[in-house]
Amino acid sequence: MPLETFKASDSLTMGVELELQLVNSYDHDLSSSANDLLDLLARKPFPGTVTPEMTQSMIEIATGVHTEHGPLLKQLQDIRDTLVGAGDRLNIELAGGGTHPFQRWFEQRIFAKPRFHQLSGLYGYLAKQFTVFGQHVHIGCSSPDEALFLLHSLNRYVPHFIALSASSPFSQGVDTLFDSARLNSVFAFPLSGRAPFVLSWEEFANVYFTKMESTGVVKSMKDFYWDIRPKPEYGTIELRVCDTPLTVERAAGLACYLQALCRHLLLRTEPPPEEDDYLVYTYNRFQACRFGLDGMMVNPKTRESISIREDVLATLRVITPHAQALNSLAALDEIERTAARVGNHASFLRARYQDSGSVEAVVRSSVEALRHGP
Amino acid sequence: MVQTDFAFLLQAIAWPLALLIAWVAGEWLLERWHVPRVTSYVAVGLIGGLINLPGLTTDIPGLPFLANVALALVLFELGYRMNLRWFRHNPWVLVLGVVESLATFGVVYWVSGWFALPVDHRLIIASLSISASPAGVLRVANELRSTGQATERVLHLCAINCLMSVLALKLVVAYWTLSTSGDIVLAAFNSVHVVGTSIAVGGLLGVAVSWMLRLRGAHERGVTVVFALAVVLLTTAAYGLMLSPLLAALTFGIVARERRVHLSSAQRDFGTAGDMLSVFLFVYIASLLTWTDVTHTFVLGVVLILARTVTKVLCNLAAARLSGISERKGVLTGLALTPMSAFAILLIEQTRLYGFEPAVQVLAALAGMMLLQELFGPVVTQRSLMAANETHVTKE
Repeated sequence: MPLETFKASDSLTMGVELELQLVNSYDHDLSSSANDLLDLLARKPFPGTVTPEMTQSMIEIATGVHTEHGPLLKQLQDIRDTLVGAGDRLNIELAGGGTHPFQRWFEQRIFAKPRFHQLSGLYGYLAKQFTVFGQHVHIGCSSPDEALFLLHSLNRYVPHFIALSASSPFSQGVDTLFDSARLNSVFAFPLSGRAPFVLSWEEFANVYFTKMESTGVVKSMKDFYWDIRPKPEYGTIELRVCDTPLTVERAAGLACYLQALCRHLLLRTEPPPEEDDYLVYTYNRFQACRFGLDGMMVNPKTRESISIREDVLATLRVITPHAQALNSLAALDEIERTAARVGNHASFLRARYQDSGSVEAVVRSSVEALRHGP
Repeated sequence: MVQTDFAFLLQAIAWPLALLIAWVAGEWLLERWHVPRVTSYVAVGLIGGLINLPGLTTDIPGLPFLANVALALVLFELGYRMNLRWFRHNPWVLVLGVVESLATFGVVYWVSGWFALPVDHRLIIASLSISASPAGVLRVANELRSTGQATERVLHLCAINCLMSVLALKLVVAYWTLSTSGDIVLAAFNSVHVVGTSIAVGGLLGVAVSWMLRLRGAHERGVTVVFALAVVLLTTAAYGLMLSPLLAALTFGIVARERRVHLSSAQRDFGTAGDMLSVFLFVYIASLLTWTDVTHTFVLGVVLILARTVTKVLCNLAAARLSGISERKGVLTGLALTPMSAFAILLIEQTRLYGFEPAVQVLAALAGMMLLQELFGPVVTQRSLMAANETHVTKE
């Protein structure tokens, strides 16, 4: 089956998807309760969409299409409030965060949906280890070539999003010393990482995808777990490297940071993307996962090393006029606060662990953070 | 040459041998046919009683205390799993628990009228029938690592049932004391004092232990040990003060939970020591039943179980939608509340120890019901939770 046609959409529109944890209120372990929660939510209109995810202890929510920070944040807050209310009725807690700090992956149950069963059959234990929680941001593109241009131009900024959103320092009960341990789980999948360096949609669809399909390895774009992938049915590119932050406020901030950055890139004032940019891609990505905002990244064009924090702050200065034009300055404030002052949510969770010495208390703080905001 | 006294030896090793056989049978039958472990333990106790295994007697001093400690640990864990704030967000769960308890009391009292039983016996049977067995329900739920709405509700309703059952029984005991002795002070002592003081002692210990743990910043494993020792202390004190160790332990758990000291999931069932005590509890409970009583009261038992189960299922079905779950899960929650014996038997045993004479006859009258509940109750709970898709052995 050929790759479906790229459905053009309004440039710089955006939508957010968040995978959330379902936690029991007793010992704060993951709770296989997605069925119960989805059943209850199905009784009333939901201010967005909510769908099951791979395992029974996670759900995914998605916003509609937005152009500005205010309405996006409002919808995310409405979704959050509806979810928390439904969770309260069922004695289920909800939390953000890229990993659950101490869940046992082998206890997770695959959600009863044919695609999830098929993935579980193919990937074995990796499917259950994939009980990790990410934020995906879609940015609308007016043409498929624009989508590929943006996808590759963003390569040097990927560490920003990993570091800013990182909220998964703990895994299997211990501090992994990574700010984002979640991305290591994603990396285990054979079709993860970066997209091939192709800038023309015609070449991507008719040459690359056709070849891949003929190998029998992929059937649709869903089979690629790339950090950024085109989404032809929505007419967007989808950034998938972010951990789910602990608050919807940060999630909205990250989405609008990406939107403003894309507006800046589309002016094409920066040197165009090229294959060599990817020489440092995996290294930069590792630095962001391991050290968060304190990581050092190499600028692929200048080959200079700079801390991710400094690069984020420098980028904020460049894109401020775009955020102003997009009516999203409040989002940049949130990002500036994160990079310059309060740190990412991995630091927040580590601080809670320092205070309490307990991973259960870390989950408790995640639950409270989602419920009450920053 | 020293002569071995085989009769004495057999008598001495009867209990440990029975417990070992029960454990092995539990593991084997679970693996082979998914029989809940507790059902196997009960079966071994029953068979031991039936073949009159020498030494497998309940006359050994200290056994009732040990059984109460075992059940108190379970009740503490059940209390610790209760989330009182849930009742504020979803009052229907609390209303359901109370209404279902009262309905069960009424229906069982009415149905027991079909048999030639004295009124005070009927009142006691009705009070006991409110309860669901925390040991049976919690053990099965933990064994299956079950999570979901049916599991959550079964555990919360079980705790409410147990509380209501103790309250009802204490009222009946007060009524009996008043009608036999005419002593209103004694009647009040037997009810208000026992209930009130048990709750107060359990609550106080909950506050004190949580405060101590917070002060010391104990490790998770240490927390579990401290809680277990506190439960032993509580049971001993409750015996000395002639209070209800079961009610005190449940309150202790609820208050400790509200004070929030984390019990890690690794310490569910109180680890290996909890497993051992659980084997003992179920074998002991089964050995309390007399087979002649069972045969005489079999029909009564079947009728009472049906009445009790139908009431619980209908109440849960009626409240399902209102409380946010599907009718199917409501029915399965009601069915999962089937086990009742361990708690009821210890409750009535303890009431007997405190001088409540009708307890002996009631225990005999309930033999048929207890036997069936002990053997098949945990299986019904297990199958209900599996049918609710809340367990790991469920076909996904």
